[in-house]
Amino acid sequence: MRHTSVAVVNGKPRSPAVSILARHWALLFLALTVTVFSFTGRNFFALNNFQSIIHLATTGLLLASAETFVIIAGGIDISIGFLLGLSAVSSASTMQLLFAAGWSAPASIVAGISVGMAASIACGLAAGILIARFRVPPFIATLGTQGIAIGISYHICGGFPIGYLPPGLTEIGNGYLLYIHPPSGAWSFFQRPDGIGASQIKDLVRIIPFSFVLLAVLLAVLWHLLKNTRFGQHTYAIGGSMDAAVRAGIDTKKHLILVYVLSAALAGFAGIVDVFQSGNGNYTTFGAQLELFAIAAVIIGGASLFGGKGRIIASVVGVILLKVLENGLNLSGVEPFYRYIAVGLILIVAVVIDQLFPDLF
Amino acid sequence: MRRRTGFASFLGQRWAVLFFLVELVFFSFLGGGFFSLNGMQIVLFYSTTLALLATAETFVIVTGGIDFSVGFVMGFASVVSAKLAAAFDRMGLPPELSLTFAVLATLAMGLLPGFVNGMLVARLKVPPFLATFSVQGITYGVSLILTKGSAATNVPNLANVIGNGYFMYWVRGRGLSFFLRPDVPRGTNVVEIIPTMVVVTILFVAIAAFLLKRTRFGQHTYAIGGSMDAAVRAGINTKKHLVLIYVISSFLATLSGIIYMLEYVTGKSDAGSSFMLDAVVAVVIGGASLFGGAGTVWKTILGVLILSVLEMGLKMMGVQTFDKFIAVGIILVFAVLIDQFFPELIHKED
Repeated sequence: MRHTSVAVVNGKPRSPAVSILARHWALLFLALTVTVFSFTGRNFFALNNFQSIIHLATTGLLLASAETFVIIAGGIDISIGFLLGLSAVSSASTMQLLFAAGWSAPASIVAGISVGMAASIACGLAAGILIARFRVPPFIATLGTQGIAIGISYHICGGFPIGYLPPGLTEIGNGYLLYIHPPSGAWSFFQRPDGIGASQIKDLVRIIPFSFVLLAVLLAVLWHLLKNTRFGQHTYAIGGSMDAAVRAGIDTKKHLILVYVLSAALAGFAGIVDVFQSGNGNYTTFGAQLELFAIAAVIIGGASLFGGKGRIIASVVGVILLKVLENGLNLSGVEPFYRYIAVGLILIVAVVIDQLFPDLF
Repeated sequence: MRRRTGFASFLGQRWAVLFFLVELVFFSFLGGGFFSLNGMQIVLFYSTTLALLATAETFVIVTGGIDFSVGFVMGFASVVSAKLAAAFDRMGLPPELSLTFAVLATLAMGLLPGFVNGMLVARLKVPPFLATFSVQGITYGVSLILTKGSAATNVPNLANVIGNGYFMYWVRGRGLSFFLRPDVPRGTNVVEIIPTMVVVTILFVAIAAFLLKRTRFGQHTYAIGGSMDAAVRAGINTKKHLVLIYVISSFLATLSGIIYMLEYVTGKSDAGSSFMLDAVVAVVIGGASLFGGAGTVWKTILGVLILSVLEMGLKMMGVQTFDKFIAVGIILVFAVLIDQFFPELIHKED
């Protein structure tokens, strides 16, 4: 039996056009901002700029997908922003120490990555156990692990970025798949073509940063995990109704722990990506509010803080929307201070639309 | 349900007080200069801004909401009041008048962010997390624009006299004098008793505590936090009440910003950014539930004192301040674990 999907609000059917508009408002809004900034922003509508928007959004996308899992499960993870910093400084300092001690660059990098991931996963495990076994509210448990992560990060780095890392990090972190030099017709994979000197570098076209490949693979895996696997189904079930999930025989405690471990692992991975992109081990500053932006992106994507709702793709749209706004306002010559206001106002519009058309999301 | 008796019950019910006492004893032995009139007054002076922010957060958390904007509303207020005071001063008004006008205008302006929060939460049913997060961004942006990213200065020096003055001064042989430093020759030992800003803070906190505990307004606040549906059915105008709650929260945050301006004689956009989470933590240590319906102002103040003693005690011991974050993280989890194991003891009286 086919059924027509006409949204009904207060007994009045709403036209399909309005309902599509409201459901995909974030995407439409993104299209609108891109169009506007293409006219107002210098060099906004350019391959380079679009590539750099997404490249710089890598860590934000990882944090938002981490938060998507947690929010769908009906929780919240305040710690991810500082777990990013913890993972970055602990992996960077390991790399620095081992490399200085005479280890080879690849070996010290691999060891650093392992230490960074282990540190963040340990925090996620602690938060998960507190939340699932001891019924500590997620907000407080992750606030607690956040405090511990901040303290340990500062102990490791003393409030300064960690430098003197093994060579080659930023070449990997900021490299591109394909380099083309149109005037001479030279092209190559992974590094700039031989014979292209520093004077010709401004004509060099770089296509597809490595971060795209990473994001494409990782987001596809997470999307599949959430959408098509039992793990994803159980996450939605727990967020929809904990009682029902328990009665359906789901091991909710184990599942919740896994969700927070996954979230922490993604945050830790974001920290390692940050080391590769910046070439330093940066701690997270207090004003950064990375976790709040990740949560905002997830909610712009239509997730509910009460759980049971949310999609990876929608969170990705939320992150890109925030990044495009930042980038576009910047290139349009708007002072950075106005960006906070713009983001605040847009968020308000977002949630008000969400509230006015609740049946559509 | 199994009843706990004796020592366990005593401990579970009063762990925050006990913890506070342990802290005091610990730092009195180990913190250089902590156990002295001056040391205690430094802790109290340091607590003033956080105490007002945490009191603001208490009102919101009791209704089951959360207010992320208090920290930046505080910064906004410090910037606005500093800018206005400097402007009035440049216009040639005497410092007393320029400060008074600046404070009054800022207090009025500080109601606005709360009103927007309240309308969004109550009328448009925006989740408090998002509403206050958005408003936080807007107030931060506006104060950055006002200061062009730096600090607002040129506040008349009278602010310093008020903000760093003491309630009482005592000189051997001449007795007490209030508010004004006695005119004595240099080198005379003047005992300074209770910073003026601490007195102001206690006054407003007491009013807030009275409002929440003893009035119909307070009862309705607990009712809304306990069950929104029940509150509506009981005939409470929940929408209006919620708007008022967020306005009160914003007002107290503004007051905190003004006190910051008086104490530090500058306005800074990010004056309260590090206090935002501390305020929530203090409320939670005080035994409030983030689901609403529980929590009192005085217990929140106990939470504030626990945090301030920890921070200043560690500082006076010469321990690196980031250890504070580890300690706060552990205390927080500890607080909630106790809450989980002795639920009937903590929420009984609220």
